[in-house]
Amino acid sequence: MPYHEFECSKCIPERKKHAVIKGPGEDLTSALPLGYLSTIPGSISERGCAYCGAKHVIGQPMKDVIHLSHGPVGCTYDTWQTKRYLSDNDNFQLKYTFATDMKEKHIVFGAEKMLKKNIIEAFKAFPQIKRMTIYQTCASALIGDDINAVAQEVMDELPGVDIFVCNSPGFKGPSQSGGHHTICIAWFKDKVGTVEPKITSDYVINYVGEYNIQGDQFVMQDYFKRMGIQILSTFTGNGSYDDLRAMHRAHLNVLECARSSEYLCNELRVKYGIPRLDIDGFGFAPLGNSLKKVALFFGIEDRAQKIIEEETARWKPELDWYKARLTGKKVCLWPGGSKLWHWAHVIHEEMGVEVVSVYTKFGHQGDMEKGISRCEEGALAIDDPNELEGLEAMETLKPDIIFTGKRPGEVAKKIRVPYLNAHGYHNGPWKGWEGWVRFARDIYNGVYSPIHQLSLLDISKDEIPTDRGFATQRMLSDASLSDEARHSPDLREYTGKYDCCADLLKKEYPVPERQSVAAV
Amino acid sequence: MEDLMKDRVDQLVNYIMKNCLWQFHSRAWDRKRQNEGILTQTAQLLCGETVRLETPLEKCYWVDAVCLAEAFKENYPWIKGLGAEDVRQVMHDLHERMDYLTVTGSLNLELNDQHY
Repeated sequence: MPYHEFECSKCIPERKKHAVIKGPGEDLTSALPLGYLSTIPGSISERGCAYCGAKHVIGQPMKDVIHLSHGPVGCTYDTWQTKRYLSDNDNFQLKYTFATDMKEKHIVFGAEKMLKKNIIEAFKAFPQIKRMTIYQTCASALIGDDINAVAQEVMDELPGVDIFVCNSPGFKGPSQSGGHHTICIAWFKDKVGTVEPKITSDYVINYVGEYNIQGDQFVMQDYFKRMGIQILSTFTGNGSYDDLRAMHRAHLNVLECARSSEYLCNELRVKYGIPRLDIDGFGFAPLGNSLKKVALFFGIEDRAQKIIEEETARWKPELDWYKARLTGKKVCLWPGGSKLWHWAHVIHEEMGVEVVSVYTKFGHQGDMEKGISRCEEGALAIDDPNELEGLEAMETLKPDIIFTGKRPGEVAKKIRVPYLNAHGYHNGPWKGWEGWVRFARDIYNGVYSPIHQLSLLDISKDEIPTDRGFATQRMLSDASLSDEARHSPDLREYTGKYDCCADLLKKEYPVPERQSVAAV
Repeated sequence: MEDLMKDRVDQLVNYIMKNCLWQFHSRAWDRKRQNEGILTQTAQLLCGETVRLETPLEKCYWVDAVCLAEAFKENYPWIKGLGAEDVRQVMHDLHERMDYLTVTGSLNLELNDQHY
């Protein structure tokens, strides 16, 4: 597994150990990209900061909370449209974001008084919200404002409110991943165990590392509820502040994005003996296997099996319609962290695409171990790439589409490579059986977009064909398809609704019968 | 014979690396514990032995072990033709190989961090 040196990064020799090509017959002990290190000077990468990792990734999906940044107003960016973590309380946490708006005078004279005034003002403006998280920023960390003391003062003066303080300034760690770590440990130490929950089922889980991107959590919640499982808390998509204070009463921690929140599960295991079960929510087979594992833990395998059979029968013909048209398409799988290993094997197996490269912006070496293990031989694995490396990789590998974030995605579009937003999705949810078909549909729409085909022509130099009309998506995708696949009566395009979550949110579930009613 | 054993172990390693997540906990002591807990129980299940399930942690290992044993039998039919001793030997070698790939031979510099 040789290290890969980019032509554009030869002037930054340290970069060489951040990329490898998975060679035939080699294993993880041959080479592994370095990871979770400070970005090398001269390599302008696409990472976020530790404040961003704490607030925008993990804290802010909590739905019934005033999220207040103690810093300049610019730090509060990344709300509605850039992060699509929905909630079932009318998206309060996305509609409103709060900042103390620190200015030069606060840097000179301190901002604690102003912080206290802001906290009280925010609670008064939204009297129905009694919970708050305050995020330290670089500015407030450097001047040493004691946010915890101010928060305690307010809690003493306003009975009924509860405030969580997250001291994760932007510089605390090499990337947003440092912020994930800090907020997990802080939440565990300060808040877990401070509320006793109402237990309504014999089967109780925390669903950890799930951020409800475009409704992913709504979909997964439906499966768990159909199995009679109580989701005590979701960390943190559509999560409730007080539910998350009660995590210590779950029987099992079901962990999805280990990159962002394994710390919390590990601490819950050490202190409370709650086991950690890592699952995959993406892809028919991995998801089915994941539900089966959760069911096995509680001895209710038949309930999982029923869901697996129903959902597979409903959605497999649609997934296979897309697979027939996506097989062999080359993909660069370039997400932030965990999706590189959640998707690397299953998009190949279930959609037929070839993953020619995986990268992670802020992942650790453990993420690369998982991702490289799961992708096929020949794939180029890159840690913390810069923009030029991304361009060079695309020019060399010639992917048909890439899955990444908005910033590298827009760069890709400039060289006429379509991209899907791996963080916020295009037309999610992408979890669940139906979600996986929606993902396949988004890939199909990206690869075969007629507008994209037109963009491949450069009107300044290319001859524009005038002897043929506009080609539809279907004409493009079916051109090289066998008659058998094209006319298969067993396959069909996606038939779900535009918004597949609305009905889930109205759904009612039977109250599970309990055997151990004496439980807490 | 040695080649046959190596080939068999490689097949099982490949399945785990492609499809499982439990072997990649973030610290060396966790990885050793996961490999020990899950692979020991998988071997017991494949040999038809009783598995001890006294704690939630053991039950969690068992969940992964059940799925792994089923997958091994489904994907590698040769395993069903082995006697208990041979199964134990294959699983022993598999365990050693997994410990090497994920712990002792791993290039992951964070494995020995003292904290989570």
